Amino acid sequence: MNTAAINKKLQKAFGGRFSAVEENGAVFVRGKSDDWNEIIAACQTAAEKYGATHVVNDIVYTGAQPLPMRLPSLRDDALNGRAPDVLIIGGGISGASIARELMKWKLDVLLVDKEADLALQASGRNDGEVHPGIDLGKGSLKHKYIRRANRMYADVCQTLDVPFHRVGQYVLFRSALLRPVIGLYALWRRLHDGIEDTKLLSGKELLRREPRLSPDTKFALWNPSAGCVCPYGLTIAYAENAVQNGAAVSLNTAVLSMEVRGHRIVSVNTNRGTLYPKLVINAAGVFAEDVAAMADDRFYSIHPRRGTNSILDQKAGAYMHSIASVKDLHIHGKNHSKGGGILHTVHDNLLIGPDAVETPEKENTETRPESIKTVFDKQTQTMPALSQRDIITYFTGVRAPTFEEDFILEPGRNTKNLIHVAGIQSPGLTTAPAVAVDMAALAVELLKKERPVEVNPAFDPVRKGVPVLRELDDAAREDMICKNPDYGEIVCRCEEISKGEILDALRAPICVPTLDGIKKRVRPGMGRCQGGFCSPLVTKIIAEFLGVPLADVRKSSAESVITFGETKNCKGGDEA
Amino acid sequence: MTTGSVDVLVVGGGPAGLAAAISAHDNGAKVLLLEREARLGGILKQCIHDGFGLLRFGEQLSGPEYAERFEDELHAREIEYRTLTFVTGIGQNEDGAFAVHTVGRDGVSVLYAKALVLATGCRERTAKQVFIHGTRPAGIFTAGTAQHFTNLLGQMPAKRCVILGSGDIGLIMARRLTLEGAKVLGVYEAKATPSGLTRNLHQCLHDYDIPLHLSHTVTRVFGSDRLEAVEISKVDETMSPIPGTAQRVDCDALILSVGLIPENELAEALGVQLDGRTRGPVCDGQCMTSVDGVFSCGNALHVNDLVDYVSKNAQQAGKAAAYYQAKPRRLIQMTPADGLLYVVPQRLNLNESNRATDLYFRVREDENNCVLHIEADGKEIFKKRYAFLRPPEMENLTIDFDSCGLNETSRVVLRLEKSAKETV
Amino acid sequence: MTKELVCIVCPRSCRMQISMDGSEPVVTGNTCKRGRDFAVREMTDPRRTVCTTVRTAFPGVPVLPVRVSAPIPKGRIFDLMREVNRVTVTERLGRGDTVVPNILDLGADLIVTSNVLKEETKG
Repeated sequence: MNTAAINKKLQKAFGGRFSAVEENGAVFVRGKSDDWNEIIAACQTAAEKYGATHVVNDIVYTGAQPLPMRLPSLRDDALNGRAPDVLIIGGGISGASIARELMKWKLDVLLVDKEADLALQASGRNDGEVHPGIDLGKGSLKHKYIRRANRMYADVCQTLDVPFHRVGQYVLFRSALLRPVIGLYALWRRLHDGIEDTKLLSGKELLRREPRLSPDTKFALWNPSAGCVCPYGLTIAYAENAVQNGAAVSLNTAVLSMEVRGHRIVSVNTNRGTLYPKLVINAAGVFAEDVAAMADDRFYSIHPRRGTNSILDQKAGAYMHSIASVKDLHIHGKNHSKGGGILHTVHDNLLIGPDAVETPEKENTETRPESIKTVFDKQTQTMPALSQRDIITYFTGVRAPTFEEDFILEPGRNTKNLIHVAGIQSPGLTTAPAVAVDMAALAVELLKKERPVEVNPAFDPVRKGVPVLRELDDAAREDMICKNPDYGEIVCRCEEISKGEILDALRAPICVPTLDGIKKRVRPGMGRCQGGFCSPLVTKIIAEFLGVPLADVRKSSAESVITFGETKNCKGGDEA
Repeated sequence: MTTGSVDVLVVGGGPAGLAAAISAHDNGAKVLLLEREARLGGILKQCIHDGFGLLRFGEQLSGPEYAERFEDELHAREIEYRTLTFVTGIGQNEDGAFAVHTVGRDGVSVLYAKALVLATGCRERTAKQVFIHGTRPAGIFTAGTAQHFTNLLGQMPAKRCVILGSGDIGLIMARRLTLEGAKVLGVYEAKATPSGLTRNLHQCLHDYDIPLHLSHTVTRVFGSDRLEAVEISKVDETMSPIPGTAQRVDCDALILSVGLIPENELAEALGVQLDGRTRGPVCDGQCMTSVDGVFSCGNALHVNDLVDYVSKNAQQAGKAAAYYQAKPRRLIQMTPADGLLYVVPQRLNLNESNRATDLYFRVREDENNCVLHIEADGKEIFKKRYAFLRPPEMENLTIDFDSCGLNETSRVVLRLEKSAKETV
Repeated sequence: MTKELVCIVCPRSCRMQISMDGSEPVVTGNTCKRGRDFAVREMTDPRRTVCTTVRTAFPGVPVLPVRVSAPIPKGRIFDLMREVNRVTVTERLGRGDTVVPNILDLGADLIVTSNVLKEETKG
């Protein structure tokens, strides 16, 4: 690393308003600006893509300040004094998959997440693509893991009872001139990366396979190893299997501060008491840099990048059965996230998106009309038949990239009983199964320095999800209903979900008895009426299951009140 | 797995399904009615307000009273019905019989029927379908969902609320929530004219001093847990928000009454052709869809403003289903022209009697002093003057087409003539 | 003085005008006698039929739809609501049954409009 060279570049681009210094093996960029995009540009100038030396954004942002991290209102001491072998911070795909892999050893593992459910941030708000592994720089961690992890998917998803469809991906090109270049690229991929299944297809062949895609396509790159998975479904499945094997998951639990002494985390303060973990795994997504700072181990920064996806009615699902996006090779500045596309989800909807917008706000998942427009403007080029009229919902997620645009998978540099699983962005969902295996092994290696760690002979890798009745044939369905008539009582008409399936979700190893929790697990409310018909019914089932008044049931967080109590007792807004 | 065979199978136990089943039975058919909910009555169960039945019974009934009158009739005739029974799919045998697959608490059934009546009602357009942006807090309800919570579960969905859309359910809920002690801050409507019945504007809004803001819409919502506020913007004639007009209104609930969509997933799976304007099946004067033996009625066929019309229309469908026999149809089109949004039925079958065909139509926009002309092959066969017509208010006519000398090449056109006397 | 009003008797929603010719009200725009009667009463003693729910002691049907058997003075609607909200139905009443006779001395009974409670088996 050469800070002199970086400073020269910063000087040239920003007239000396930003400067870089080396500290703790990282490049700290300093200065002041009220323009977030300028701050991002300055840090990107200092960063080397996929470099091992990271840029820390130490520039003071004087623009509109983002809100502080949202915290759960819950305050108790349910966890006070606990001393797990491993504390995992973050219940996204990374934290959940590592928790599960760790249970292959005899370890006391506690996973905490500040949200009311698992996968509530980036892991629950992405497109669910299992990437084929093209388009990644060699030498990066992304590249290191992608092919290995992609190959694991069928097996992992079968073991954890999660739907995964290897539907393949088409990259559409509309200029025949590019064909020789892309042909060479495919060949290069094969020779250098061992991705042997990538093929070039003619436009005609593409339209034979997917007739609704753009007729302007001259040729396409076909990556049969691409697939799709339900991203929150996989996260929940990993976490449930961890819990089945003895791990503990504590939701609504936020890490507030840490006590670090002698390069070790001694204790971790949460809203539910103080913990004394032997090892901490930082899988905190956009907040990984904040956890790193608490742990006195700050050597990278996260720059949040927002993206919005739209979900189309299952009727539009019939338009296409794979993953597709058009590529023009136009250079629109630096664009690090995948360009988005159209994806036939495992639930037979079409998903369109996402876009990519830099933001200082880590938790602002508001949707904006311009995001939908951007994405549709682009993807109607992939598929002209695409219509906003088919949209049933849309959502925004915030990615957690570093300025090097690569993962950080390593022990703390300053703090010894810490592992960072940070900078996880696309294709982080794809790489998770392989990363989890290695991170669990790394954790065991670190723990073994202090005491022996035994293999857990009782580990059961198999997790059984809630049965999906609508996918059964009449005979199998009849059989299930005979055993449990609740499977015959349909509650959600759009997705055909029975009361039995909802009750199963409530009895699952991790019970999240909220409307959103049930919706994520068994899908009532995911369909075209968006819960219009079923949400009162599901609310009632949850209340009856918990034995609480209906008004005690929440949409998600403790504050997300659905109803204000009985009509006859209610005071109006003016009198309240 | 149980099985059974009937002449007419009715899907849906709301007002349309009930009337269709009774009528099919009275016309000699063996009938089975299927309802997915625990009780018959459909959406009327939660429509506790009055105003139903004036045309049919000459009385102002509440929703449950209206529905239960038909239920009583169903029970008196001992017509077979199943509640908590959900249709998972419909196939068709080589002999033309429909095989209806259902699930219920007693298992899976396959039921065979000569004719089907689809009386599946409609659903509400959602917040995302009208492109409301912002966060995703609790407290955003469609009017029907709020009505379910309030009237069936006795739960208060709002304390200070904004209602978007001036459809009838929205107006009804404005009054209902006010009666239960909530503060309704206002009803906002993106269109320049109200969507609900005029009398509902008066008895639901004016009576309670609830303001109606036309040409305004909700453009954004705030609040990460429960709704905290909405952003309201003025809109132009194309219903696009006008920049600079946004204002924030603090509230804890947003209730949407922004349109109803006929539910036709079963019909579509059967290959039934839909009308893009009604979003219901294209049907003939006997309520038969493009698929022989499949009939459609009520709000599944097109969204009605009055349940009385639903019952009337369903009665026809039930009767036609009872007499259904596979035979060729000679179909001609009925085309809504100048000023008309749609007409139902969309076609006439010249192989059936069309002596007293019930027509339903809506206009595109408010019209005063206009004349409806029905023409066959350029020749006027009917005309009627209307003092005023409004899109929310559906119009119903009974026309004798048999005396018009129609043949296969005939074309029937409905058009609206704006009054020449109109002053500027 | 002429007053404009909309008839709420039926969905036709006639726009009516009412004025006084001496002591005799003159109604125009109505299409039936009920409309005329409504207009006259609307000027002197406006009344409304109130439909609402009443709490029950049965968890399966926590509220039961009710209405007043005849229109009540418009100005008493919220008095009525307060009174209704004090009531809890403890018997399995059916459609047409009276919950409160002559409620608040308004000359109208509070009556049940659905058999939902009567027909409910569980709960």
